Amino acid sequence: MAWTWFHRLASPPHVYRVAGRLTPWLAWPAGALIVAGLIGGLVLAPADYQQGEGYRILYVHAPSAWMSLMVYTTMAVAAAIGLIWRMKVAHAVAASCAPIGASFTFAALVTGSLWGAPMWGTYWQWDPRLTSELILLFLYLGYMGLRSAFDDVQRADRASAVLAIVGVVNVPIIHYSVIWWNSLHQAPSVMTLGKPTMPLSMLAPLLMMLLGFTLLFGALLLVRLRGEVLSRERTATWIREALQA
Amino acid sequence: MSTFFDMGGYAAYVWPAYAVTFAVVGLNIVWALRLLKRSRKEALHRLAIGGIEK
Repeated sequence: MAWTWFHRLASPPHVYRVAGRLTPWLAWPAGALIVAGLIGGLVLAPADYQQGEGYRILYVHAPSAWMSLMVYTTMAVAAAIGLIWRMKVAHAVAASCAPIGASFTFAALVTGSLWGAPMWGTYWQWDPRLTSELILLFLYLGYMGLRSAFDDVQRADRASAVLAIVGVVNVPIIHYSVIWWNSLHQAPSVMTLGKPTMPLSMLAPLLMMLLGFTLLFGALLLVRLRGEVLSRERTATWIREALQA
Repeated sequence: MSTFFDMGGYAAYVWPAYAVTFAVVGLNIVWALRLLKRSRKEALHRLAIGGIEK
C-alpha cells in the first residue's frame, strides 16, 4: 500500500504527464529569481572592500559550482535507484542530468579561472579544489561517452550507473578540498555551519541566484526527462494518447 | 553608466564570466527543448511504422 506512490513514480505515462505540467512552475520562478539576483548582484550589492567590483563574478561562479555538485549528486542517487530497483525512470533521470551537470561544471571552471586571473594572478593552478572540479568534468564526460558507446539503452543505463555511483566519492572531496588541504581557493562563506560571512546586501542576491539556478535545473531536468522517457518506450499505447491527443 | 560597464577595472574578467554562464544557461534550454522535440518525432515515427506494440 505504502509503495503505490513509488510505482506511480515509476510509471512512464504518469511521469511524462506530471513532468510536463510541473515544468512552468519551476521555469518561471527560476527566471524571476535569476533576473532579481542579477540586478541585486550587479547593481545593488556594494563593492567588496578587498576585491572591489571584481568579486561580482561570485554571482555566476558560485551558482555554477553549486550546480556542478548538486546535479552530480542527483545523477548518482538516481543511478543507484535505477540499479537497485531496476527502475527505468530513475535511469532516465540520471541520463538527463549529465549534459546539464557537465555544462555547468565547465561554466564553474571558466568563471573561476576568470576570477583567479586578477585576484590570484593566475588562470590555473593544479590546486586541490581546481583539480578535483576538473576531474568532475571528466566524470560527466566519461559518463556521457560511456552511454553513447552502447546501442542498447538498458545496457547503457546499467553500465553508466556504475560509473556515476563510483564517481560520487569526488563530490565530498571537492567540497572539503579547501578545508583538508592548503588551497588557493577560499573556504565556503555561505554553506558553512554558523553564520554566513557576508552582509545581507551581498548575500541575498547570491541566495536568489543559487535558488534560481536550482529551479532552472529542475525545469531542464523535467523537459529532458520527458524526452528520455519517450525514447525508452517501446510497448505503450500511451504514446499515442500523449502525442496525438 | 560607463562606470558600471567598467566594473572598477575588472570588466575584462567580470563580463566574460557572465557571458559564459548565460551562454551555458541558454544552450541548456535549447538542448533540452530540442531533445524533447526529437524524442516526440521519433516516437511518432515508431508509431507510424508500427514499431511499437499495442
